[in-house]
Amino acid sequence: MNLIREIWRSIVRRDPLTTDKGKSELVFLNVWLHIHPAKVKKENMKFRHSFYLGFITFFLFLILLTTGIALMCYYRPYPPQAYQDMKDLQFVVFMGPFLRNMHRWAAHGMVICVFLHMCRVFYTGSYKKPRQFNWVVGVLLLLLTLGLSFTGYLLPWDQLAYWAITVGSNIGSYAPLVGGQLRELLLGGHTVGEAALLRFYVLHVAVLPSLLILLTIVHFWRVRKDGGLSRPVWTLKPKTESLVTIGAPTVVAPLQVEAASKDKTYGLMEVVTGKPIFETITPEEEEDTVFSYPYAFVREAVVLMATVTTVMAMSLFLNAPLEQLANPAKTPNPAKAPWYFLGLQELVSHSALLGGVVAPALMVLALLAIPYLDRNPSRRPADRKLILWLFALFVVANLALIIIGTFFRGPGWALVPPWVHVTGGTE
Amino acid sequence: MERRLQQIFFVLSVLALALILVAEWQANTPSWKNYQRSFLQLEAQAEPNAAAKAAVLSTPLEIHQVMLTGLQRVDRCTTCHLGVDDPTMKNAPEPYRYHANLGPHIPSKFGCTICHGGQGLATDKESAHGNVAFWPNPLLSADYVRASCGRCHKEGDVPGVPELTEGRHLFETQGCRGCHKLNGVGGSIGPDLSEEGASLRAPQWLEQHFLAPNAVSAGSAMPNFHFTRDQARDLTYYMLSLTNQDMGSYYASVRLIPSPEYGRELFTEKNCIVCHSVGGVGAKTGPDLLGVTKRHSNEWLDEQLVNPQLVYPGSTMPEYDLEANARKALLAFLTTATTEDMQSILSGRKTALKPEDVAIEAGRQDFARFGCVGCHGTELQGGVPNPNAQGGEVPSLLHVSDDYTKDEVIAIIRNGKVPPMDNPAGPTPPLYMPSWKHVLSDEDVNRVADYLWSKQQKKESW
Repeated sequence: MNLIREIWRSIVRRDPLTTDKGKSELVFLNVWLHIHPAKVKKENMKFRHSFYLGFITFFLFLILLTTGIALMCYYRPYPPQAYQDMKDLQFVVFMGPFLRNMHRWAAHGMVICVFLHMCRVFYTGSYKKPRQFNWVVGVLLLLLTLGLSFTGYLLPWDQLAYWAITVGSNIGSYAPLVGGQLRELLLGGHTVGEAALLRFYVLHVAVLPSLLILLTIVHFWRVRKDGGLSRPVWTLKPKTESLVTIGAPTVVAPLQVEAASKDKTYGLMEVVTGKPIFETITPEEEEDTVFSYPYAFVREAVVLMATVTTVMAMSLFLNAPLEQLANPAKTPNPAKAPWYFLGLQELVSHSALLGGVVAPALMVLALLAIPYLDRNPSRRPADRKLILWLFALFVVANLALIIIGTFFRGPGWALVPPWVHVTGGTE
Repeated sequence: MERRLQQIFFVLSVLALALILVAEWQANTPSWKNYQRSFLQLEAQAEPNAAAKAAVLSTPLEIHQVMLTGLQRVDRCTTCHLGVDDPTMKNAPEPYRYHANLGPHIPSKFGCTICHGGQGLATDKESAHGNVAFWPNPLLSADYVRASCGRCHKEGDVPGVPELTEGRHLFETQGCRGCHKLNGVGGSIGPDLSEEGASLRAPQWLEQHFLAPNAVSAGSAMPNFHFTRDQARDLTYYMLSLTNQDMGSYYASVRLIPSPEYGRELFTEKNCIVCHSVGGVGAKTGPDLLGVTKRHSNEWLDEQLVNPQLVYPGSTMPEYDLEANARKALLAFLTTATTEDMQSILSGRKTALKPEDVAIEAGRQDFARFGCVGCHGTELQGGVPNPNAQGGEVPSLLHVSDDYTKDEVIAIIRNGKVPPMDNPAGPTPPLYMPSWKHVLSDEDVNRVADYLWSKQQKKESW
């Protein structure tokens, strides 16, 4: 009996809840409750503030992780067995099609949601002080998501995969000086082959997920340390400067011991004083908060279940595509990159260097630099009309290029409307 | 609000559970289980007593598969076609009927798809029969299934499939190689046909294409050879048999035993005697082959048959597209070949061979073998339509000596020629003379020129 109690006490180390110490330790010693702040503002939980896009993205990633590990049990990363394994998943593995469909649709969903999440954060100006760096981490997470999707695209080893990756990796090779070598490093050769499949597999199941998990931890930690979610823009009053408490102390005061005040500061061990670098809330706002548990938790749980059921419902009715076995001698016409790179391919069709290298490089650099270039302190949309229009233009241009590349390009990359059926494009 | 959220959470959780159950139900009720249940019913009917019936009916339902490593495939057809190797099922309804007349082709060693096509890995009817998107080999209909014999029986007559023999003969004599590559030998005006049988084309398309190329493939450069319906069917059979897939040693051999008799057939068929002699009987262009198997090792000789120039630089011997067992058979024949054999082969020829005709005969062989006859005709008459080329057709070669010297003709064969256009502004003529210098040796080109000169007719002088 003592042993059981000892084991239990080694897992749950808080004091009994009858004591105040025990009550506080319930939060302090619990990792899940610790990622969340103890209390959250009611307004921040409103659906129309964040649409829970960050959560949806994260939950999709969890689905991908679990289905991905299950799929690894059935997959051999060398041709042509890789393709045969896809067929086995389709025809003999118990619930194999469902598993693969879930992985496929969650992957597409994650690319979409990560992009929408970025749009939301941009619209609400949430990349501004003190959250600049977390925006940068977010952009890196977007790139990792694209990388994961791209490397996963090759693994079925069918014609769709083979030629999409051939086209995609060719786009990369247009970079001057290093482009060709980068492509060779990625593919392990001059063309997509056995070596490329193995490398993509290693990147897809080990390297990129590890990096993504690592950066996700940083991302979440920073959300917490930057003072939780930014306030909804509709709560911002025109005189913004006075509302946003920002920045490290301008004058570095000598260290002095001071009694901890009643205000919330970072009086760490009562030796350091100064204003916090994160957003704080005033006593009036304090009234407007609720405990994370259960209020935030139940909302997250609802979003989790909504995400899971949506992906499962899609997977029941929509099958992930699987074309013929990859054949390096038979190029489909047109050969298209994965859909999220079709905008890029569309640009490349006009100019390889400008569209394939300069434009995407500038795009990524601009995204990374936005929080440092945008000096406007206000987060109110009314104060940021120009930059919001510019961002909208960026989003619309991207979507338009992807739509043109996906639906309006036929054999020889000629402009063909989707309602015109082109026959005999195989040779 | 909080209460509502909890309700939503509960509803979504139930929904998720329901979806999982639906997915599981879907996975648990594949169509093949129904087929197996009906088959067990069928089998149980034949059982004498209730206990035996119950035993049959309680057989576990499971996927059956034949792993065919030598053929690089896995066939799961027997999951539903449960009676293929059970003679008592010879009157059973499909898909349970016994497959009669298989001869040595036992299902456990050959599977099904190597002959019938379809998707062996699949376990539902539509996918397995290959009538789905992205599966290149749907089930072959009864009209065409025998064409598959040629996938393993790559040489010689296939019993019961005269179409294949005739198709191969047509291919080699009608000059198809002039435009089409097959196993690395041939021209490049038309597509390579080495994997034609594995392409997405339906047999009906191929047959129609042979009857009227432009009817199914608008603007095709392929001339209409006015094949008969039977000939179109023969050629279609041959095309369907071309997969270029390595069949594994168990299946690949046409003749499982490379016998001297088979070697003798090949020696005759390939016209070796046009260049070689044995014991002085035959032609003198190549070396005498009496005792050749004692002078050289088997490996050396085999290599010589595969790639003459590699073993013996400057060799004028052409490359022949011979299977490994065909080469073994030829060597087996040569160890025993006598002058009498040569006499009988010579006397079996339609035309007697005079020594001075040897080079010309070899030229004629080359002219046919490399497909020149496809455009220029078996009698050099030309006449294949070539829109917008001068004269509108491929020229006759019966009068080349009027316009060219022999050296000029040799240069044209070596380097190729684009025909002059009737209307310079019009489209490029689809057919042109390819460059042959990388395919034919100088010796071959000279022999072809000799052959052309032997056939020249003086223009009638009006």
